[in-house]
Amino acid sequence: MAHITIKDLSFSYPVDPDRLVLDHVSVDIEQGQYVTLCGKSGCGKTTLLNQLKTVLTPNGKRTGEVLLDGVSLDQIDLRTQAATIGYVMQDPDSQIVTDKVWHELAFGLENLGFDQRTMRTRVAEMASYFGIQSWFHKDVEELSGGQKQLLNLASIMAMQPNILILDEPTSQLDPIAASDFLNTVRKINLELGTTIIITEHRLEDIFHASDKVIVMEKGKVIVQDEPKAVGRYLKDENSEMFAALPAPVQIYYGVAKEAGFDMDDLKRVPLTVREGRTWLSELFEGKEVLPLKEKEDVPVKDVEEDPAISLKDVWFRYDRDLPDVLKGTTFDVGRGKIFALVGGNGTGKSTMLKAICRSIRPYRGKLLIDGKKLDSYKSGDLFKGKLAMLPQDPKSLFVKTTVREELEEMLGTKEAARYEKEVEIKGFENVPLDERIRQVAEECDILHLLKSHPFDLSGGEQQRTALAKVLLTEPKILLLDEPTKGIDNFFKLQFANILRKLQERGVTILMVSHDVEFCARYADQVGMFFDGDVITTNTPDKFFGQNSFYTTAANRMSRHLFTNAITDEDVIQRCLENIQSWK
Amino acid sequence: MREIYKDEFATYNPITNIIYFLGAIILGMFFIHPVFVGVSIIIGLIYLFILKKKRALRELLFMLLMFVVISVINPVFNLLGATVLFRLFNRPYTLESLIYGMTLGGMAVAILCWFACYNCIMTSDKFIYIFGKIIPSVSLILSMILRLIPNLTKKTKQIASARSCIGMAGDSSSSRMEKVRNGTLVLSTLTSWSLEGGIIMADSMRSRGYGSGKRTTFAKYRFDARNLVLILVMAFLLTVIIFCAAKGATQAEYIPYLMMSWFGDIYMSLGVLAYAVFLLIPVFLDIKEMIKWRILRSKI
Repeated sequence: MAHITIKDLSFSYPVDPDRLVLDHVSVDIEQGQYVTLCGKSGCGKTTLLNQLKTVLTPNGKRTGEVLLDGVSLDQIDLRTQAATIGYVMQDPDSQIVTDKVWHELAFGLENLGFDQRTMRTRVAEMASYFGIQSWFHKDVEELSGGQKQLLNLASIMAMQPNILILDEPTSQLDPIAASDFLNTVRKINLELGTTIIITEHRLEDIFHASDKVIVMEKGKVIVQDEPKAVGRYLKDENSEMFAALPAPVQIYYGVAKEAGFDMDDLKRVPLTVREGRTWLSELFEGKEVLPLKEKEDVPVKDVEEDPAISLKDVWFRYDRDLPDVLKGTTFDVGRGKIFALVGGNGTGKSTMLKAICRSIRPYRGKLLIDGKKLDSYKSGDLFKGKLAMLPQDPKSLFVKTTVREELEEMLGTKEAARYEKEVEIKGFENVPLDERIRQVAEECDILHLLKSHPFDLSGGEQQRTALAKVLLTEPKILLLDEPTKGIDNFFKLQFANILRKLQERGVTILMVSHDVEFCARYADQVGMFFDGDVITTNTPDKFFGQNSFYTTAANRMSRHLFTNAITDEDVIQRCLENIQSWK
Repeated sequence: MREIYKDEFATYNPITNIIYFLGAIILGMFFIHPVFVGVSIIIGLIYLFILKKKRALRELLFMLLMFVVISVINPVFNLLGATVLFRLFNRPYTLESLIYGMTLGGMAVAILCWFACYNCIMTSDKFIYIFGKIIPSVSLILSMILRLIPNLTKKTKQIASARSCIGMAGDSSSSRMEKVRNGTLVLSTLTSWSLEGGIIMADSMRSRGYGSGKRTTFAKYRFDARNLVLILVMAFLLTVIIFCAAKGATQAEYIPYLMMSWFGDIYMSLGVLAYAVFLLIPVFLDIKEMIKWRILRSKI
């Protein structure tokens, strides 16, 4: 008998009873397994996870059942469920209930009515296990995102659950904090034998470690098996989900046919960078590697002739007594380029963006927009048709009740009020959209969402709605702060296509991002931000080709053979060229 | 972030702390005898300097100013009193009234001083702990509110800055009407955002067993023997002080003649002594600790 049995489970929301959000799902999970649940946004992952804990199950029609050690979940009382099934949610901030770290750790234990002695031991134990001692007495507000999520995990583990459910726990974290977090989850699984069920966008860190991968599509489970078999299945089915798999798997299957691998031999499929490296080395053993075909080498200009944005020796600190955040930041962004700045947390990247859109004023240095001093712009001129920023959290831009009103707000107060009134009288469908809005909405692919409440949208949809709103100011220069945070690969692709279109129209884009893969693929120039300044800038292939740690998985896997191959496609192409030359 | 003060008394249980401060503040408000007020000010300042070191100087400046103002102003309005010092605007300015003003000013300074010390010692944690002892559910609510406030401030700033970066926050030229409108929009976003956060928080609470039955409260502070001893000592001193006060030790009349108990009176002397010892408790503890560490270190 399995530990958790989901038997023929179907679920639909009362709003739309005919649409099955979960469509006859059956899954067995054994004690101590590490299970990864993946699928596109909106495929029913979260809905399925919510069914595993009665208090989180939303209202709706449900058939089938969930069994825990053979007992139906409905028959297990809430207190036992609270203790045995831990649930970590996506947003690190909103889950935290109390103001102090120590109190948050104790919160679950308080609810379960433990006595002082037990609580003390458990809290102490968790603080030590998760390395929380040094910030045990701190206010929650002082913690970083990664620390907050770790605290959420620790406060749940204090209740000693048998099952740990994690719903996209790292989507709001930077890559380093994210892999720290996932390593901790792995450690819990290995050392305590806790059953883990996790959903994630970033499969690189967890795919290889999973005992079982479940892939969902439109509320159905399309495959559930061990990772290598799932990779094979997705390749055979030509599924969209294949693109979400880790780089080594994708490169392997990209080359497999040409190289004449036996597709049924799953043992050779590499899941990690290490395995991928070994596999490539074996493939190339005793063979000459073709040198890189020199592309027409565009010399990297340190000084742009007519830069859209130009910073020279910009210094800033938040308070007289605080240390400098920007320390002589100097760099230019060429007109019509997509310029990406990467770098660790707290190096001052976001502060730099704030300086460009005048949220903060540097105390020294020059900041030019279109060759004109930033300070000489009137705020009306600067933000109308010149410069705009898409904030990190798209929600901070939403003030209305529908996406349409959200966009109409940008036409000006009078115009927006007129539309609102007309819609109220004539009905939504009967008032034609403003031509500009229609264009932008089409470009951002949100025409079908106009009627929805902005808060009801998924992360990627919110992102595009916010972008549409920003684009209505018709900016020549667009600033993006962590644009790919919390959105899945498909939305990233869609987002990148929009950026490309904007670039064709001559818009300059400056983005700050942790997402190495995204920058490698879509940026024209990449800069490394460190300690308050831009250290190096280069084209993505050279930039990432020279880094050994801060680079893409594809590059790390192939750097011993190829120079400057940074995306999966690069590596596949170079492999194929070589294989052809051997024939 | 609020500072953690290195102080021995701060390491005691919040209950011990609150008894001491209640004693110091309430007694300080009732005793209008100049000697008692003087004792309260001097010890209060000593303790404040121990806690805040140099930074107490800034507060001292303000206190001094307040003391002078109250002292000098009182005789201007209060014309009674036998000893006329001089005449101001043809009105008598009397010695008794001046001394009375000084006592009042001193009292105000002493209370300020004690509240400043209270602020250093009684962190929100300790405050909530004490509340939890009285009404358990309130302590959780307080803790949640303290979590919410900085969160809302942060979000408000974030929304305002996001809107200004797309030119929707108005500029210096926008009318008052527009400013109000912008403010309401920020508020409306803040509301929907917080409501959404509230739902997640409620889920997180229930999923961790909130409302599933009897609840206990985790106590970060222990109540050990040293706390008990200190509370007994304080109780004894307070009894002595109150007894002496009942016997008239703290009586003082200013108008029209100065008339107050003085050191010749046994109750008065005993009362001042007990009062000083009571207020000096944290200072004693710090000195004791200092000596202890000197000795420990010399042994190493």
